[in-house]
Amino acid sequence: MSEPKRLHPIVIVLTIGKRIKDLIFSFIALFFIWNKGDGGKLLLFGALAIAIIGIILTSILSWFRYTYRLEKNELRIEYGVFVRKKRYIPLERIQSLDISEGLFQRLCGMVKVKIETAGGSGNDEAEAVLSAIPKEEARYIQEYVAGAKNSSEPNVYEDPSQIVYKITPSQLLLLSLTSGGVGVVISAVLAFLSQLDDFIPYEKVFRGIEQWVVSNLILIALLIFAGLILAWILALFGTMLKYANFHVTKTEHDLVISQGLLEKRQMTIPIARIQAIRINENIVRQWLGYGSVNVESAGGSASNKEGSKVLLLPLVKLKDIEHILGPYLTEYQFTSSFTSVPKKAMNRYIFRSWYIVVPPVVVSIVFFKVWGLLSLIILALVTFWGGLKYKDAGWSLDDHQLSLRYRSMVRTTVFIRKNKIQSLEMRESYFQRRKDLATLEAFVKVGFGGAGGRVLDMDRMDVRKVYTWFSREDEKRD
Amino acid sequence: MILEPQKRISIKALTVWRISSVIKILISWILAGVAIFLLHIFNGPFWISLLLIAIELISTYIMIFLLPSLRWRRFRYDVRVEEIELQEGIFIVKRTLIPMIRVQHVDTVQGPILRKYQLASVIINTAATAHEIPALEESEAEELRRLISNLAMVADEDV
Repeated sequence: MSEPKRLHPIVIVLTIGKRIKDLIFSFIALFFIWNKGDGGKLLLFGALAIAIIGIILTSILSWFRYTYRLEKNELRIEYGVFVRKKRYIPLERIQSLDISEGLFQRLCGMVKVKIETAGGSGNDEAEAVLSAIPKEEARYIQEYVAGAKNSSEPNVYEDPSQIVYKITPSQLLLLSLTSGGVGVVISAVLAFLSQLDDFIPYEKVFRGIEQWVVSNLILIALLIFAGLILAWILALFGTMLKYANFHVTKTEHDLVISQGLLEKRQMTIPIARIQAIRINENIVRQWLGYGSVNVESAGGSASNKEGSKVLLLPLVKLKDIEHILGPYLTEYQFTSSFTSVPKKAMNRYIFRSWYIVVPPVVVSIVFFKVWGLLSLIILALVTFWGGLKYKDAGWSLDDHQLSLRYRSMVRTTVFIRKNKIQSLEMRESYFQRRKDLATLEAFVKVGFGGAGGRVLDMDRMDVRKVYTWFSREDEKRD
Repeated sequence: MILEPQKRISIKALTVWRISSVIKILISWILAGVAIFLLHIFNGPFWISLLLIAIELISTYIMIFLLPSLRWRRFRYDVRVEEIELQEGIFIVKRTLIPMIRVQHVDTVQGPILRKYQLASVIINTAATAHEIPALEESEAEELRRLISNLAMVADEDV
């Protein structure tokens, strides 16, 4: 397939839909501004018609101009309506390949392919997105990429692929029950209601309702409660659909993650391109002994976090991780023995959690007297949280791997290979120095920019040990 | 045991930092002056004006005299064959190790004040982070940029 090809025309529909969706709020705003008198109405419909025709035309044009081809180990894309652009991506630079099937793509038997490289094209969705191409071609690209990477003949896809992990129904249920998706749905509902503010004459409505509300307080409370339950169930189903049929296979050089029921997705991540492995445990899951495992790759951009942080095991018992991943990711040691930060660091952890909270607490006690004392509950919570952070902080060092554990909201354990660390930092403030403590931070390349891990208030000698471990010249100097 | 990095940046950095501090402080004095003027017109309490002046005086001292010399004394760097090490910070001392094979590219940057004193800053970029060695002699910065990019080229490795 070296001759230029176009995407399936369904892309036009998708683009039109997306652009109209982006514009819909402006339309609504205009509707309220101009919907006064006949002149306004004329203007309104005129603008609407022009905008829609414009969108349709540019969508068709941009589909027409978008071509792709595979040539000389490069994916060559040419696009752009007014400004013609060419983007050539060397296949060996591809960090990850994401193949998904949305409803529209499925209707025409197409798939969507997202390609990530390490390049920082900050704003774009991904380095390259082929919105609708036939399945065979996606498969072909996948093979071609694998082939180009092995610098050998494109091999058949079916070859030594082993199933690493497959989600079980009970895990899926537990995953959905403990996911944060509930919060997202609730806040979406709230945001939606606050958007409605401008359109519904709340004040008028309220005046009439006020009387009714007071006498029906319980009913209202019940309604809100029912709403929350409904939101939770929706989120539950959302998560279930997203992660249904989740399984991970390993081919010769790649990890392939497949998931989804309505919208199918398949991610391919070259194992050599993995920058770090991260285990997250939110407090509920930690309590149950579960966590989720992410692989971080250098692909992705600022607006597309998913390209760089890929869920590898959505929900897994902590002690099984080694057992599941160990045989496949042989370079990584999934240790669970961490050296904690020294006891003298505890005060600093707790104090650090205080200084944002203490001023408002003092103020509220001064102003609200007895009621202000309620804010002490917050102080207690924050102290507890600081204690947790102290308890969870730790580190571990192997020959070629640094493992850090710390907590912000969730407990995070990150495993980083020495040769994937971009830079290492040790920090000592005046107060830390007095207690012989120091902070350690390692940076890896994840998506657009960096990420990594940071452990506060480790023993100073320990930090130096890691620092020396990372220094490539240290042996020479002795 | 790890030695501290040894090399210092140009002593002229002190002058440059002081000049840029003076500019910043001047702006803040002007703002404070406007605030005091307004307070005077609207019969605001006098002690606020006093407080503003006191704050301005203290920050003038800190910004122009104290911080630049502390910062200069703290900043050290070393460029070795396989890594770069930096030490910086005033209250918090930060030491950074950058393996040479992780260096993506090196820039030299020169603002108007730096140019006047024939100084330049070197910025070392990895795939994830950027690190600055501020205010080196122009020739030294140039030399360093060439050295680092040569060393980084030898150690070519993919992300």
